[in-house]
Amino acid sequence: MRKKKVSAIAVLIMSFALLVVLGTSCFATAQQAMAQDATTPYPNMAPIDQYLMTDQGAEIALARSAAPESIARDAEVLVLGRHGFETAVKGKNGFVCIVGRSWTSAADADFWDPKVRVPMCVNGAAARSYLLRITKITGLILAGRTKAQTDETIAAAIAKKELPAMESGAMCYMMSKQGYGGDTIPHWPSHLMFFFSDTDPATWGANLPGSPVFAMADPLEHLTQFVVAVQRWSDGTEAR
Amino acid sequence: MTRNQIHSILLSTFAIVVALIASRPAAAQDAKQPYPSMAPVEQYLMDRDAEIALARSAAPDAISHDASVVVLTRHGYETAVRGKNGWVCWVGRGWMAMFDHPEFWNPKIRAADCLNPPAARSVLPYAYKRTELLLAGHAKPEVIAAIKAAIDKKELPALEQGTVDYMMSKSSYLTDNGNHNGPHLMFYETAKDGAAWGANLTNSPVLRVNYWYISAQSYPQLKSFPPLSVFLVGVDKWSDGTPAPSM
Repeated sequence: MRKKKVSAIAVLIMSFALLVVLGTSCFATAQQAMAQDATTPYPNMAPIDQYLMTDQGAEIALARSAAPESIARDAEVLVLGRHGFETAVKGKNGFVCIVGRSWTSAADADFWDPKVRVPMCVNGAAARSYLLRITKITGLILAGRTKAQTDETIAAAIAKKELPAMESGAMCYMMSKQGYGGDTIPHWPSHLMFFFSDTDPATWGANLPGSPVFAMADPLEHLTQFVVAVQRWSDGTEAR
Repeated sequence: MTRNQIHSILLSTFAIVVALIASRPAAAQDAKQPYPSMAPVEQYLMDRDAEIALARSAAPDAISHDASVVVLTRHGYETAVRGKNGWVCWVGRGWMAMFDHPEFWNPKIRAADCLNPPAARSVLPYAYKRTELLLAGHAKPEVIAAIKAAIDKKELPALEQGTVDYMMSKSSYLTDNGNHNGPHLMFYETAKDGAAWGANLTNSPVLRVNYWYISAQSYPQLKSFPPLSVFLVGVDKWSDGTPAPSM
């Protein structure tokens, strides 16, 4: 599940990046580019220290950079510890900001890339649904589970409803000018994401020529993620 | 076009700048409105083929090509083209703005929309109902009361999840303000305010307006309506793929 899922996300992101950066929406081109990256320079997990940020203040600042300051300043912030994400700052507006690592936030080829740092701020609905998957996956990975074992555990938890379905209105901001998405997509375009359970991407007109909406549906996680590019970074500067 | 101008257009079209309006008495607003009453119905009508083309221009051809299209007649909207992908494209008129919107009766408004299937099923019936009642000559308070009664009797549907409305037409006329237009997506939610999406905050790309009213002072019954928020996110291209002005 993990390989299929991340590959699909990578294709999505690549096509998205191509569209935004190069002005083309050629999905086939993106898939071709993925095929060329079939071998990975990161075949195994690196020492955990390499995934951690030694400066907690820097991780908090990077996490917050995912959303405009007007949102992020009152958000809860999680930082990565040796066993998973931990609350570093208590929030008061329902949003939660974190810096995603490679196993949740990069393409397959970069699954173990210890340099990956992807800031995101999820809203309250996503914090109660989508984010639980991110933190659960992270905990499993840091406990030494393989990708396959992690996928299996997550799928089982969803089937048993230990992990909830996406809550109505779940969305997140990914507008940071900083961060690193891995060799495949070094930097993501500024965008919003919307999370649904078991929703056909066609319902939003996603992935069609000229559509500003991109989507990826993962049937095993019963998760559909919609992506809409925005024109500014979180600091208000122009992103195109 | 500057970012502020685009914001102004979007907000003018769907809500006017809430903070600005909220501080002004609604009755005074009505008195100053440039469009205090309905114009002759002919001014709201269009050539049928032109209306179909405008409606379809709300979304990329890949979506609108297979969409149903409804057009306005003297008595309400009627289906002009039967689609096959569940989407419905149409051209909204001024009265689809909030009931106390200054451009409610602006006969120049032509707001092209393509709604996805959940929005077509759960948002459009409200638009149809409102339009039919207004074209039949009912006053706004009567229309509001009739819609509330229909909601209470469940003759109008509850909002479905996952609604999206494409408004990417280069040819729409959304407001008298600014450049009159700007491509965006809209999402309908039952949220009471914009906080859940971080809307209307500094540098947020998300704007939120109340579907029913700006202040509700003129039409207090609207406060008893189920919460319905419209979230707007600007996009960088028109439906034909050409770049839009930076927001």
